[in-house]
Amino acid sequence: MKPASFVYHRPATLDEALALLADHGGDAKPLAGGQSLIPAMNFRLARPAILIDLDRVRELAFMTAGPDGLRLGAMTRQRDVERSPLAARAAPLLHETLPFIAHPQIRNRGTIGGSLAHADPAAELPAVALALDARLHVRRRDGARWIPAAEFFTGLFATALTPEELLVEVAVPAPPAHSGWAFEEVARRHGDYALVGVAAAVTLDSQGRCERVRLALLSVGEGPVLAAQAAGLLVGQVPSADLIRAAADAAATSDIDPPGDIHASPAYRRQLAAVLTRRALTRSLERAHEKAT
Amino acid sequence: MIVVGAFTLQGPRGVVWDLLHDPDVLVKTLPGGERLIRGADDTYEGVMRVGVGPVTAAEFSVTVRLRDKVPPERLHMDVDGKGGIGFTRGTAAVELVEQAGGATLMKYRAELLVGGRIAAVGQRLLDAAAKHMTRLGLEALNRELQARLAGGGGGAS
Repeated sequence: MKPASFVYHRPATLDEALALLADHGGDAKPLAGGQSLIPAMNFRLARPAILIDLDRVRELAFMTAGPDGLRLGAMTRQRDVERSPLAARAAPLLHETLPFIAHPQIRNRGTIGGSLAHADPAAELPAVALALDARLHVRRRDGARWIPAAEFFTGLFATALTPEELLVEVAVPAPPAHSGWAFEEVARRHGDYALVGVAAAVTLDSQGRCERVRLALLSVGEGPVLAAQAAGLLVGQVPSADLIRAAADAAATSDIDPPGDIHASPAYRRQLAAVLTRRALTRSLERAHEKAT
Repeated sequence: MIVVGAFTLQGPRGVVWDLLHDPDVLVKTLPGGERLIRGADDTYEGVMRVGVGPVTAAEFSVTVRLRDKVPPERLHMDVDGKGGIGFTRGTAAVELVEQAGGATLMKYRAELLVGGRIAAVGQRLLDAAAKHMTRLGLEALNRELQARLAGGGGGAS
């Protein structure tokens, strides 16, 4: 199928892109890889009047690591992060999750910022951003702001971005000492939308107690869901198999209200959420212990 | 697709029941509702523009018929919606239960068939989208209820 007609802009600089957004706002959509938007346009479900293609905005494609963590330009290709030893060191959870996203061809074009701004409830990157407490830098022609991931995702394909704003950068904090991480998902075939996924990041204190636990689930609601009750059971405790199981059950029963579709019923999604959360927590804690000893 | 749930409305059951029959109120509670008129036999016809996420808002014509009414406790709805990108039809059962403190619990269960392009492409998202729109609609209904109580309730605020 072919898309409805649209006006195409290809700015060469960020300022130019922001000016176009300021002028056209709600009628325009930024194109940041096009692995979701273009299919939706070809089905004529999405009919934006104006596309602002960010492909030539080179200043938005970068990756740097410092003591604060990893900084990624919004137009950084997913495949480039996946293949980056720098990303593997600075943000191992993000790095480990990337191969789960669709297929290599899609990651070659798909961008970090595109996936985050699209905010598909089944997407991996929003859940990882939430688990890592990433901050998102957003600009408009006459201003800028940083938004924590927990405030960026506001609902079904909905974000805190206004029509004039563009996501330009993601800052992933460096993991503290004694930290572990894991990503788990189940899809019917590799590359399909996950039925359920879990991103976990834990930090232990010097006594081996959980100091910080962040669990973010995907494909179980209108956006990525932070399993706060599950995390609350673990914080301040020395983790045990029983405690992990209790936390995983809390994630599946109290923290989420999953939807059903032809691929999985709500009950099956809860079952997957319990099993995957248990695995993700177990692996995260193993890794945190390895780093502690 | 089955949409089932319950929502607490902050007002008495009789007022809620009346609101559910007022097209000027209902059009404001339908997500993307543009117009709604009441025809014969408790039939309402209207137009809404619905879009979620990447789906550009598209026009749907909607017909809702109320039947099997037991005022002010329960009613059924037959729903029929058609648009360029898909269609839906089905039935919904609504029950109103009086709560302590003058609130009303609305229990609902809808069985909807969704077809056309939107279902073919967006199947995995229909349930979440339906929940999302139901919540928007009920929150809007609660706001209309507060407005009605504030305006016509003789100084209640």
